[in-house]
Amino acid sequence: MTSEGRCLHPASLATLIVALTLTIGVHSAWAQFGPFGGPRPPMVGGIVGWVFVKQAMFYRALAGMIRLAKSDGSALWGLMGISFVYGIFHAAGPGHGKAVISSYLLANEETWRRGITLSFASAVMQSLTAVTIVGVAAVLLGATAKFMGDTVRVIEIVSYGLIVLVGARLLWVKGLGFVRAWRDLKTVPEKASLCSGTDQRQRLASNKPPDQVYRCDQADADARTHHAAACEHQDHNHDEEPDLFPWGHAHGPEPQELAGPGGWRRGWSAVLAVGLRPCSGAIIVLVFALAQGLFWAGVASTVVMGLGTAITVATIATLAVGAKAIAKRFIHERGGYGIVMLRAIETGAAALVLIFGVLLLAGYMASERLAGF
Amino acid sequence: MTGARLWLRASVLTRLALFIVACSGVIATKAQAHPHVWATIRTELLYAPDGSVTGVRHVWTFDDGYSAFATMGIAAKTKGQFTREELQPLAQVNVESLKDYDYFTYAKFNGKRQQDVFNEPVDYWLDYDPQAGELTLHFTLPFKKPVTAKLLTIEVYDPEFFVDFGFAEDDPVKLVGAPAQCTVSTEKPYDGNFLISQNLNRSFIPSEANIGMGMDFANKISVKCP
Repeated sequence: MTSEGRCLHPASLATLIVALTLTIGVHSAWAQFGPFGGPRPPMVGGIVGWVFVKQAMFYRALAGMIRLAKSDGSALWGLMGISFVYGIFHAAGPGHGKAVISSYLLANEETWRRGITLSFASAVMQSLTAVTIVGVAAVLLGATAKFMGDTVRVIEIVSYGLIVLVGARLLWVKGLGFVRAWRDLKTVPEKASLCSGTDQRQRLASNKPPDQVYRCDQADADARTHHAAACEHQDHNHDEEPDLFPWGHAHGPEPQELAGPGGWRRGWSAVLAVGLRPCSGAIIVLVFALAQGLFWAGVASTVVMGLGTAITVATIATLAVGAKAIAKRFIHERGGYGIVMLRAIETGAAALVLIFGVLLLAGYMASERLAGF
Repeated sequence: MTGARLWLRASVLTRLALFIVACSGVIATKAQAHPHVWATIRTELLYAPDGSVTGVRHVWTFDDGYSAFATMGIAAKTKGQFTREELQPLAQVNVESLKDYDYFTYAKFNGKRQQDVFNEPVDYWLDYDPQAGELTLHFTLPFKKPVTAKLLTIEVYDPEFFVDFGFAEDDPVKLVGAPAQCTVSTEKPYDGNFLISQNLNRSFIPSEANIGMGMDFANKISVKCP
């Protein structure tokens, strides 16, 4: 099998990743821009329109079930079911959470397992903040809707600030990685590819066409993993050349580094940034449940809703991680230019996180409103 | 590399799905989420004796979920009931915040979109229906200058679609003191609110699953005075 036959040409792959990032990222952002040049009636079409219809349908059904549960306890089961489906659909619409998580995953060396964990953690955290806010503000303090709106506003600013920080850090790290890959390409081209050291030399020595030389992926799975790790290390081994940066290797963290406690800590910063802002629907449902004397049903509904949300976000995150993994695979076979491309994609994704954060913070990109007016 | 291998196996379908998602990204929308508030509209257009329109009087009834949210923390003498006086501070907050949203009310004179034609609201208050658990906001928007346009169009909608406005079933629009030859017509986005309960069953019919296509949520009032 040739590298082209197995799957995608790197160029179409890059297009695919760009499309993916655009979709989950820019589309979400775009959809949230305030009206420019005077408001117009919203036109909602296509898949997004369909998702909105479903969201609204389940959201209304949610309120209906709470109303019903007041007189009929068995409606609680229906409430849980609808909460779950609502969570799935709610997360399928535009929203900055998915955009940030996906971009974060694209920018980093993440496994799909970690992608799913981060998605679940952020969704569960979102539920918990909603419950905490309503619990403290409404139940304990007897606060008004305005107070709650203001509270959410403050939380929002903190959350957006965190997104800016996470994005800035990622951009710094990934940008340096890009610069380094670019420099490697310019100065010592044969050193820049994965498995470069020996493979390239072998290739040069044997004068074989590239498709016939030894490649990482021709080994069996286990060996491949080890070899890949070793190759990765070689790729990053700049001992023979002067370092561009006095502090040494400034590019992205190694996969094994990320798997350690430090990597998780960085992951949690993304979770915190995204999960802090509770979803408006959950808050209104909780307050409504409270008004009906069914606060605990509301809490259960919110948690179940979070699980539904997690499933959608995890699906999108898996796509992002899958696209990244496949990109790496092909890019590494391509050698120096591939590495540059990979670093460019990472840098782009990192920049996207930062841009989301800045736009959200500056108010150019609106997130869900809480109080209508 | 597990992800990559999974990706390779599922390639054709997954890539197709991804393509579809990407396409939907192109169809950008301004609405950012589904509505969280439902408001049933009744509107009166107020006329001066000379036949000009002086203002728009709105009566908006909110759904019980949002009403519960809006009334939380408001002290009431009788539990579960709110008097107009008890709700007045909230009404104040409402009309003040509504300013940021152009009162969700957009005017066209002879088909031409107008900006900044309303003064601050007057005669505003809220009342609460304890049976339905619904809050109703009353307010009047005076025109800065009385309107003499032959064709006056008032549209009520939330561009961000956080609030789903819909005309009341019966007599949603009234002309108060209008010359006899004036005629009024209303245009709903489509039948009823975005999703009022009676439409709920309809939405479950798969053939109507695409009602999201090209939706226009504006509630339009047109008055012709030849």
